[in-house]
Amino acid sequence: MAGLRENTSGQLIILSGFVLCISLVTLAVLVNQAMITGFHSSNAVLEFPKQQIRDITSQTRESCQSMTGLALALNQSNNQGIESNYHSLFSQYKQQMAILYAGHGEEVTLSLSKMNLTSIGTNASTGGTVWVNITYNNGMTYYASEPEIIEVEP
Amino acid sequence: MDDKAQLQTLEGLGAALLITMTVVIITQSATVITPQHEMMLDVQLEQMAYDILTLLDVAPSYVMGANLTECVAGWDMNQAAIKHNSLPYLDRELSVLLPGFLYNVDMSYVRNGSLVTKNAILNGYPTEDAVVARRTVMLTNSTVTKAKGAWSIASDELQMVEVRLTVWQV
Repeated sequence: MAGLRENTSGQLIILSGFVLCISLVTLAVLVNQAMITGFHSSNAVLEFPKQQIRDITSQTRESCQSMTGLALALNQSNNQGIESNYHSLFSQYKQQMAILYAGHGEEVTLSLSKMNLTSIGTNASTGGTVWVNITYNNGMTYYASEPEIIEVEP
Repeated sequence: MDDKAQLQTLEGLGAALLITMTVVIITQSATVITPQHEMMLDVQLEQMAYDILTLLDVAPSYVMGANLTECVAGWDMNQAAIKHNSLPYLDRELSVLLPGFLYNVDMSYVRNGSLVTKNAILNGYPTEDAVVARRTVMLTNSTVTKAKGAWSIASDELQMVEVRLTVWQV
């Protein structure tokens, strides 16, 4: 034991052993951190409801366009104004969308804030504009587009 | 010239070579699936499912035959069973776009204020890593009449239908 204590050769080998050990531990920690970072970024991509938001906005734009043609056709058959028919169709649209999205735990509210359809149906029709307020909430992500301005043509 | 500790130097080189070889062999021979790899696969599959629904819906009729809205408008509204689906046209299009995958298609719609969900294409029961893509389509009296579907929609009504595509790999 006394011999071992007095033997001071090989200090550098022991030191390099320590250095190697510390570098290995540091590398292991770094690799682990990278894995955790990757996990969280992938998880965030999966959780963010970009497809739902895209579906609501694109469907609302598409439906507003179709509703214009339908409101004009109804105006010629039921003698009600285009705007009145449009309101009735939009009311059905917003109710059904709210129920469909509530079916998977998401809240969608749509409201028609303003519309300019006066030139629709006239000979000098240049199209119209509707202003729709869209909100989406799934408990973690809240999205609002107030208003979504939609150009419509019959 | 100091020629001491030659053997230790060689030993050090040998150890370094051994460690490097071991790490290379392990990383080359084994495919390590970490949780984020699995999630990335889910993200890619989900994106693909959404892209397929979008493509089917926005493609003009002369490209695809009938797009998603036309397929849904022509639905006979019968509940599907395994090997007996009620949307054969959509099934054919999906089987071309999703080779090597299994999928189900459900339809959700609102009838008298309540949500109704029916299977339209049923190929089995999804596994735990299945992904779901949804797309909403709008039906009117004219689209249904044109596609000869079984929907009952008055001329002043519209019907929103959610097409739910569940995709998984076996």
